[in-house]
Amino acid sequence: MNTVLSRANSLFAFSLSVMAALTFGCFITTAFKDRRVPVDIHVSKVMLKNVDDFTGPRERSDLGFITFDISADLQPIFDWNVKQLFLYLSAEYATKSNSLNQVVLWDKIVLRGESTKLNLRNMKSKYFFFDDGNGLRANKNITLMLSWNVVPNAGILPLVAGSGHISLPFPETYETTKSY
Amino acid sequence: MLSRFKNIPTHMDYKGQKLAEQIFQGIILISAVIGFIYGLIIQQFGWTVYIVLGGFAVSCVLTLPPWPMYRKNPLPWQPVVPESSGESPPKPQETIKKKKHK
Repeated sequence: MNTVLSRANSLFAFSLSVMAALTFGCFITTAFKDRRVPVDIHVSKVMLKNVDDFTGPRERSDLGFITFDISADLQPIFDWNVKQLFLYLSAEYATKSNSLNQVVLWDKIVLRGESTKLNLRNMKSKYFFFDDGNGLRANKNITLMLSWNVVPNAGILPLVAGSGHISLPFPETYETTKSY
Repeated sequence: MLSRFKNIPTHMDYKGQKLAEQIFQGIILISAVIGFIYGLIIQQFGWTVYIVLGGFAVSCVLTLPPWPMYRKNPLPWQPVVPESSGESPPKPQETIKKKKHK
């Protein structure tokens, strides 16, 4: 503490320790918070095709097209330990070969400060809803759910499933008209 | 010219060093508490960081330069022993330097 440099050193080290403690406090104040919010998903149109899957087993696979609406209020999720949300819509279903299939259809990043009211109408899926066989046709229980990753300033990276999912049946027949 | 610069006192005495440490710790802790509460109220951790950085800047200004307020308790040095033998005069000079760099 007798020279400028030694004082600068201890001042800097002390400030960093205090800052680390504050960051931990920020984590603790938000660690046990419930980040689930109600989500309303509505599917307006389902279309099923049987197309050549060039990525997989070189056979014709089922490809689904879903048009959906999502509305949710994400405001309760945001607090001082949230930088952004990574939302993704996934489809879960069971087939003969796999008891659980999960396909991500769509995603969206909501940054802090952006509009937190989610009100999307007639959305098309971003990614192909490919089954690895013919498990989509006449599947009676395909569940769509919205989940999100909470990206924090400090601490754990929670993965939260939104409450509110829908199950829908897929059609029995393939669409053959080229209507895209 | 050079001696004029050397005559500017740049040291802190012991009580001054302790005072400087207490001042910067107090300022940073107070700014940390204020920043935490303010950030918790407005739910913006960025403001907590800014307030702590502000406290850091203030305590830098207050405690890094050796202000005269840290030199109010000089050590009561022994008076210089009058020259009796040949080797005595340099010794007090060395002890002063050693004490300063402790």
